[in-house]
Amino acid sequence: MSAVLELRGVGKTFAGVPALRDIHLAVGTSELVALIGPSGSGKSTLLRCCNRLTEPDGGEVVFEGSPVPAGGAELASVRRRMGMVFQAFNLYPHLNALENAALAPRRAAGLGQGEAETAAREALERVGLGDRTTAMPDELSGGQQQRVAIARALALRPRILLLDEPTSALDPELVGSVLRVIRSLKEDGVAMLIATHEIAFAREAADRIAFLADGEILECGPPAEILDRPKSERLQSFLSRL
Amino acid sequence: MRIFFDAEVLAAAWPGICSGIGVTLGLALTSIAAGVALGLVLATVRALLRGAPLRPVGGLIAAYADVFRAMPPLVLLVVLYFAAPFAGIELSGFMAAFVALGLVLGASAEEIFWAGITSVNRGQWEAALSTGLSRGEAFRRVVLPQAVRLTIPPLTNRAIATGKNTALASVVAVPEVLNQAASVQAQTASPAPLLLAAGVYVALFLPLVRIGRWLETRFHIR
Ligand SMILES: Nc1ncnc2c1ncn2[C@@H]1O[C@H](COP(=O)(O)OP(=O)(O)O)[C@@H](O)[C@H]1O
Ligand SMILES: [Mg+2]
Repeated sequence: MSAVLELRGVGKTFAGVPALRDIHLAVGTSELVALIGPSGSGKSTLLRCCNRLTEPDGGEVVFEGSPVPAGGAELASVRRRMGMVFQAFNLYPHLNALENAALAPRRAAGLGQGEAETAAREALERVGLGDRTTAMPDELSGGQQQRVAIARALALRPRILLLDEPTSALDPELVGSVLRVIRSLKEDGVAMLIATHEIAFAREAADRIAFLADGEILECGPPAEILDRPKSERLQSFLSRL
Repeated sequence: MRIFFDAEVLAAAWPGICSGIGVTLGLALTSIAAGVALGLVLATVRALLRGAPLRPVGGLIAAYADVFRAMPPLVLLVVLYFAAPFAGIELSGFMAAFVALGLVLGASAEEIFWAGITSVNRGQWEAALSTGLSRGEAFRRVVLPQAVRLTIPPLTNRAIATGKNTALASVVAVPEVLNQAASVQAQTASPAPLLLAAGVYVALFLPLVRIGRWLETRFHIR
C-alpha cells in the first residue's frame, strides 16, 4: 500500500499546551481512515496540520512522497490536491453553488472559465446537486451546503479529502445525505481522512479507525478491532459513553 | 423678511454660486475618490501583511489612521496651506483642500475597510486557502466582496461628511459655493447669499443622504 498522506511524528503546542504529540499516521490510496476521540482531543488540529492551515511545530507531513512545502505556490499546489471540508461548511455566502465550486479551478488551478464551470458542475452532480447550481448558500439546507462544500473540494480532483466532522453541524435528518455522498466517494476510490462522531458510519465505511485522546493516537486499526476489542481504558470508556 | 431674500442681491450672487457649485462638486468628488481609494489600498496592504514578517507596516497604517481621525480637517487644511510653504511646499487652495480632505477621509475609510475585513469569518480565509488560492486571490475574491457589503453604509456617511467639509476650502480662497456667497455678502452686506448657499448645500447633499439611508437598509443583512 503506497501512502497518499503520511504524518511522521507530527506535534503541535498551543501556548505551552500540547494539542498533538508525536502523531504517526498514514492514509493509503483509496483508503478511508476515521479519526475518533473526545472533543478537544486534537482531531481538527491533526487535519489542519496536514495542509498547514495550522503550522505543526514538529515532525513531518508527507504528501505523495514529498514533504508538504512551507508556503508559496508549492504549498498552494499541494492544497489543491488535498481537499478540505469544514464542520461549519464555510461556503462563500456571496457566490452561488456553481461559483463556490468553480472559484479555485479558475483562480487557483488556472483553468479557463468554461473548463472551471464544467469541473464545478460535474462535482455538484457527483454530490447530487446538479439541479441547484444557481442556488445561493443561504437558500440551501445544511446538508446541501455541506455537499456543495464537498463539491468545492472535489472540483479540483484532489488525491485525498480531509473532512473535519462534516455532519456535526447538521440536523439529524440531514446527516444521512452527507454520509451517503462520502460513502459513494469511497466506492469511487477517493482517499479520505475524516474526523467524526458517527461511530456507526466509521464502523461500516472506514478501513481503519484511529482513536485520539489528549493529542495522542492511543489505538489505530480496523473498525472491528478498535470498536469491539478496545485495549486502552480511555477508548473503552469513550465507547461506553456513546 | 425682505432682507433675507433680497432679489437684487440674490441675482448678483447667483452666477458666482453656480460656478461655485462646479468647484464644490469637483473638490468633493476628487477628494472622496482619493480618500476611498487610499483607505482601500491601506486596508488591503494591512490585511495581506497580517501574520507576515512585515507586520510593523500594519502598525504604521493604524497609526496614520488614528492621527488623521483625531485631526480636525480645518486644522490640517490651514497647516497645509499656510505652514507648508515654509517647508518649501506651495499648494494651491484647491490642492491643499483636496489633500486635507483626502487624507482625513482616507484615515476613516481605512478604519472602515479594516473593520469590514476583520469581521469576515476566519473560516472564509481558511476555506479559500485550503483550495490553493493565494492570499491575494483569497482576499480579492472571497474576503473583500464580503467586507465591502459591511463598509458601504458607514463609508457613505463619511463620504457625505467629506462633501460637506469642502465648505472649509472657503478659508483658503477656493471659489466654491460658500466662498462665492461670502464674497457677495461682504460686498452687499446682505445675508441673502449665505442663505442661498445653505439652500444649495442642502440641494446637493440631501439626495446623497437619502441614497445613504437606502444603502444602509439594502446592505444591512446578516
Ligand atoms: N488556535 C488555537 N489556539 C489555541 N488552542 C487551540 C487552538 N486550536 C485548538 N486548540 C486547542 O487544542 C486542543 C485540540 O483542539 P482540536 O484540535 O480542535 O480538538 P478536536 O477537534 O478533537 O475537538 C484543544 O485543547 C484546543 O483548545
Ligand atoms: Mg474539532
